[in-house]
Amino acid sequence: MTGQRCLEDVAVGDALEPMTKTASRAQLFLFSAATNNPHRIHYDREYAAVEGHPDVLVHGPLQGAWLSQYVADWAGPRGRVLALSWQNRARAFPERELTFSGSVTAIEGDIVSLEIRETDDTGAVLMPATARVQLPHRAGGKP
Amino acid sequence: MTAGLIPDETRAMIGQLLSEPVTGVVTAAAAQRFALAADDRNPLYFDEAAAQSAGYRTTLIPPVFLAWSLNPPRPLADVRTDGLYRGEGKRVTLNVKRVMFGGEDWEFLAPLYAGDTYTSETRLKSLEEKTGGSGDFVLQMTETTYTNQDGIVVARATGRSIAR
Repeated sequence: MTGQRCLEDVAVGDALEPMTKTASRAQLFLFSAATNNPHRIHYDREYAAVEGHPDVLVHGPLQGAWLSQYVADWAGPRGRVLALSWQNRARAFPERELTFSGSVTAIEGDIVSLEIRETDDTGAVLMPATARVQLPHRAGGKP
Repeated sequence: MTAGLIPDETRAMIGQLLSEPVTGVVTAAAAQRFALAADDRNPLYFDEAAAQSAGYRTTLIPPVFLAWSLNPPRPLADVRTDGLYRGEGKRVTLNVKRVMFGGEDWEFLAPLYAGDTYTSETRLKSLEEKTGGSGDFVLQMTETTYTNQDGIVVARATGRSIAR
């Protein structure tokens, strides 16, 4: 994100530029390590099958972290993410492109509401989400 | 009324703490390791000058990292066959076969600075029996409150699980 998005730049119905993510198996390992999460479904394919999964799974919280990144990048350095909410609806797998997209659903004062979804490469919605962001006015603003 | 998915003694836990409060310092290094594992290179997490020019005292942590940042180190003996750590604190016992994670709702109430000391407290917020297409289930909500060293509530997270 370069520059700062301001309230004056935003209208209800605006689409957010999509963000794509494709997790490698190494990334899943690093995320397990960074969150001290030894659950085998994220690195042990044979064990994942025991829990009924065809492959290892992308962590729900990694998808939550991506949502947070998507919203914070949109808001810019002086925007404030006030709320994030997501539903983990379906499994996500590594080496498959995942797409975050969204739109502006409301603006009240300096608070902007967003509706976001994460979809997989078949178009299935894996994670519907919402966010509330406080944006500065063009003239200046505070963090 | 369904066939009692929620035992009375479990219902009595609503509103109670599920474990002792946990307090710890969230270092910039741990926060940056999390951000990089998510491939998030937001300068607010890495660059003191960028954070200060955005009006912050110092660098921030990725907000959802709070959920992981205070977990104490655990011995290998606590790891179960599935890799998960054995549960600590009070068990929420329900008459169900499996619990699926459903999602999270976060509120961020104040800047989350790297290097600050945070305390988390997790309570059982609610248990609701519901009837759905594939049978009866329990919607379980737990609420975690995060407070900084100045006693300011900086974030609140509600986790939703479906037990059936």
